Amino acid sequence: MPRIVIDGRTIDCREGIPVLQAALEAGLDVPHYCYHPGLSVVASCRLCLMELKVPDPRTGQLVWAPKLFPSCQTQVRDGMEVRFQSEAVRANQQRVLEYYLLNHPLDCPVCDKAGECYLQDYVEAYGPATSRMVEEKTKNPKKDIGPHTLLYQDRCVLCSRCVRFCDEIAGTGELRVVNRGSQAEIDVFPGQPLENPLQGNVVDLCPVGALLDKGFLFRQRVWLLRSARSVSPADSRGQTIWIDYNEEGIQRIRPRYNERVNEWWISDEARFGWKYIYRPDRLRTPLVRDGAALKPARWEELPALLRARFAGAPDTRVAAVLSPMMSCEEAWLLAAFIRQVAPRALLVCGHVPVVGEDQVFPRGFVIKAEKCPNRRGIETILQSVGPPTTEFQVFLGQAVEGAFDAAYVVGGYAEAWVTPSAAQALAKIPFLVVHDLFPSALDNSVSVQIPGATWAEREGTFMNCDGLIQPFERAIPPLEGIKPDGQFFAELAGRRGLFHAGQVRQEMATVMPSFAEVFVPREVPPHAH
Amino acid sequence: MRFEPVLLKNLGVPGSTALETYRRSGGYEGAQRALKMSPEEVVELVKRANLRGRGGAGFPAGLKWSFLPKDRKVTYLCVNADESEPPTFCNRVLIENDPHMLLEGILIAGYATRATVAYIYIRGEFMEQFHILQRAVDEAYAAGYFGRNILGSGYDLECYIHRGAGAYICGEETGLIESLEGKRGWPRIKPPFPAVEGLFRQPTVVNNVETLACLPHILTRGLDWWLSLGTANSKGTKLYCISGPVNRPGCYEAPLGITCRELIYSPDFGGGMRGGRKVKAVFPGGLSMGVLRGDVFPKPPPGVVDPQQDFDELDCVLDFDDVRRYDLLGLGTAAAVVIPDDADIRDVLLNVARFYAHESCGQCTQCREGTAWMYKIARRIRQGAGRLVDLDILVETTRSMGMIPGLSICGLPDGAAWPIRTLVQKFRREFEERIAAQTPDAPVRHIRRTNPAAYPLPIFEGRAVHPPGGTFATPIDLAVEHGPTSGGVPVPGARSGARSK
Repeated sequence: MPRIVIDGRTIDCREGIPVLQAALEAGLDVPHYCYHPGLSVVASCRLCLMELKVPDPRTGQLVWAPKLFPSCQTQVRDGMEVRFQSEAVRANQQRVLEYYLLNHPLDCPVCDKAGECYLQDYVEAYGPATSRMVEEKTKNPKKDIGPHTLLYQDRCVLCSRCVRFCDEIAGTGELRVVNRGSQAEIDVFPGQPLENPLQGNVVDLCPVGALLDKGFLFRQRVWLLRSARSVSPADSRGQTIWIDYNEEGIQRIRPRYNERVNEWWISDEARFGWKYIYRPDRLRTPLVRDGAALKPARWEELPALLRARFAGAPDTRVAAVLSPMMSCEEAWLLAAFIRQVAPRALLVCGHVPVVGEDQVFPRGFVIKAEKCPNRRGIETILQSVGPPTTEFQVFLGQAVEGAFDAAYVVGGYAEAWVTPSAAQALAKIPFLVVHDLFPSALDNSVSVQIPGATWAEREGTFMNCDGLIQPFERAIPPLEGIKPDGQFFAELAGRRGLFHAGQVRQEMATVMPSFAEVFVPREVPPHAH
Repeated sequence: MRFEPVLLKNLGVPGSTALETYRRSGGYEGAQRALKMSPEEVVELVKRANLRGRGGAGFPAGLKWSFLPKDRKVTYLCVNADESEPPTFCNRVLIENDPHMLLEGILIAGYATRATVAYIYIRGEFMEQFHILQRAVDEAYAAGYFGRNILGSGYDLECYIHRGAGAYICGEETGLIESLEGKRGWPRIKPPFPAVEGLFRQPTVVNNVETLACLPHILTRGLDWWLSLGTANSKGTKLYCISGPVNRPGCYEAPLGITCRELIYSPDFGGGMRGGRKVKAVFPGGLSMGVLRGDVFPKPPPGVVDPQQDFDELDCVLDFDDVRRYDLLGLGTAAAVVIPDDADIRDVLLNVARFYAHESCGQCTQCREGTAWMYKIARRIRQGAGRLVDLDILVETTRSMGMIPGLSICGLPDGAAWPIRTLVQKFRREFEERIAAQTPDAPVRHIRRTNPAAYPLPIFEGRAVHPPGGTFATPIDLAVEHGPTSGGVPVPGARSGARSK
């Protein structure tokens, strides 16, 4: 581990990283724009310049070199001594920030980025207090560069992060710098908009409010948002995210750095995959069939009803379909309930939506074809709980033969998932409990319809495609009328008190040791990237 | 005593661009001699000749060649024919009149550096010159000077010409390499240096046209002859260009070490000023190197060289070293443009600032924004709405950019900073007089066109260095007056108040 000295402070850092990264990881705030640990180094913003001790060519003694060095371009070397707290470094920071402000529009009152803007923060900390600019500012247009993204060119600081992202991470290269010098702009080629499955990341990467997400435009001030640590259910990779929300609900989703899974990026599917939470046709009240009609029921009535009906049937004719949209804890509790009342009930891993092939991007980012977060978790739990277990298609084949008297089917998918053949098979089950988000083709045959909560309204863990168990917190309270799934399953399984995912995991860990520890990504300081 | 031209020896000879004409006067003999030596011997020879680069930086060519890694498999030689430094045209004269001298130089340099391919990057505007050069390359191939087994030596060298598309920044070494690779001409961060990782990430050497044209003569006439020309550390012969209102604008050859006064006034060179004018200023090495005061100023006392005082500086010796005593960045391309006594110094400033603002590539913040800001200020000054503080801002901005203090990726901002700073500092008296001659509220009225709420604050007005009616005032040390950052970015490691050149 190289040991370097920054501003007189000795720091042990990782090998093979630039001094800037070492400083940021040690908690020092060094202003920078163009550097990003996930992208190539261009050293073009010239804001991160530092002083470096080098041997004097005549005496061999270490002296402060008479020029500044980009800290993003200089790799750490054991014994290196640098400093950022010096006249020359501070003067350069002031000048560079003044240069950025020369043509920057006074858009803070209407700019989405306010509150999380690198320019605001750095100018306040390191920049000039007054403006000396009395000339006409260079004006640039606002551009619509893609289906999801706007570019307000006059705010752009030409750090080229977005260009490098599209070249290196997405591999599509839609964004380019055009023109030269102070006329330089970011733009797309005519007829080739910014449209790749990772394009939303350029909005996060942009240090100022130049690249904007159309969905978040003018929506909410970021200091009025709170953030929950969550895991995206968009695919089986388990991309970790921040859900930014307030009392009005979810406002946006951002990537949460994860050194093992998605690093600094998320797919657009993960980023925009929360609108379905607010669909107007969300199921809101438990319904119990009474003759031809479904009548509203109270949550408190359900456990007794279900217990009676599931215990009443022969246990080999009882089944439960555990959706891969459920968390591990919820699946565990539901399995516990079903096997409690029907020890030889069939447990099924629910329908696994697969769309196309895995998409692998140049630097290793993967969008999985499997569009559910927890298939491996469900399978692990089923294996631990023990046979009889089977797959969804096999279960449907048995159901259509009339093999079951009672079944508990959990859905929870963002898209419609009930195919006509599945509806036909499930219709054969006399006592069908469906725990789902939206109305479906099962509505005609369902006996008890229970409204589910989406992942953002629940807490728990997902096991990703590589076996990594990642926890997610609740962001928003469940919509009115809905009891979160974990709480309901806990009551079904006879547990008293509030559902707490951590406690359930402790219980699970006694028989499944892998659940003793979950993977929480390393927290990075703000502005570290 | 007129100097017998060496580089320009075929100028004016009919059919001088043809191979036959070139061979008749001893052409390609140097290459033949070189091919009989080992590549290392040729490098050693060029090192001992102290051939300093003629493209602007003056970096010794032999030393540059010796940076190539010993175990390299592929080497590229890039010939920088992107001559874009205003007001330089000596490479053009060489290419137009004696292209084979350049090609012979390429052959020698290629052999010395064991280059596999030579790329001549010629600026896009040189359309006629490109055709002349391409014809010469074709002749050279036909005669066996390029291609395989050149002159039976076993050495192979391919030579291609690539045309640029109108960017000054593509004359910068790594900007040229990026442009050759088909990308935007954005200079690369260094390290790695081109000698290690250049064109297509292979070891590369970039040399100027004139530097290469010197090689045949070093080989044919010998080291002693070369070392007998020039001054202590600037050896050999140089092409000097002179333009502006002189009687004989043009490109002339002389050993390194003529003075600026000779270049302007000698009948062998500029032949004096048209209409008997005097010289207000001269940029002796191309715009980027900075400006010298002319003979409208009084001569200094003997032996005194002080760029901070308003003295005639035309006795500056035009070699690589004496120029630095006059606060010039270097000799540059030794292309002089003369500003006559009846020129408005604000026009000069505007012209200079506009060039660099237009040509900045836009990567580095200081250069991109700084050159544009200086241009806008220069424009406003020219429009009669300047303020004294604008002069201070210009000087401070020039001290906050450049590759030399480590603030930028390439040398363009150094080239932008030097002429603007020297202009404002050396001609401060005239700038202040012009500003004093404006209507007093002109700046405020001008600024109110964009910002109706602007009003002048005395504290931000700046101070005159040369109050009207007074004598020479001691220049204000801004760094001491207003704090460290008001003088630009200070030299790291130096104490507060020390100014960086």
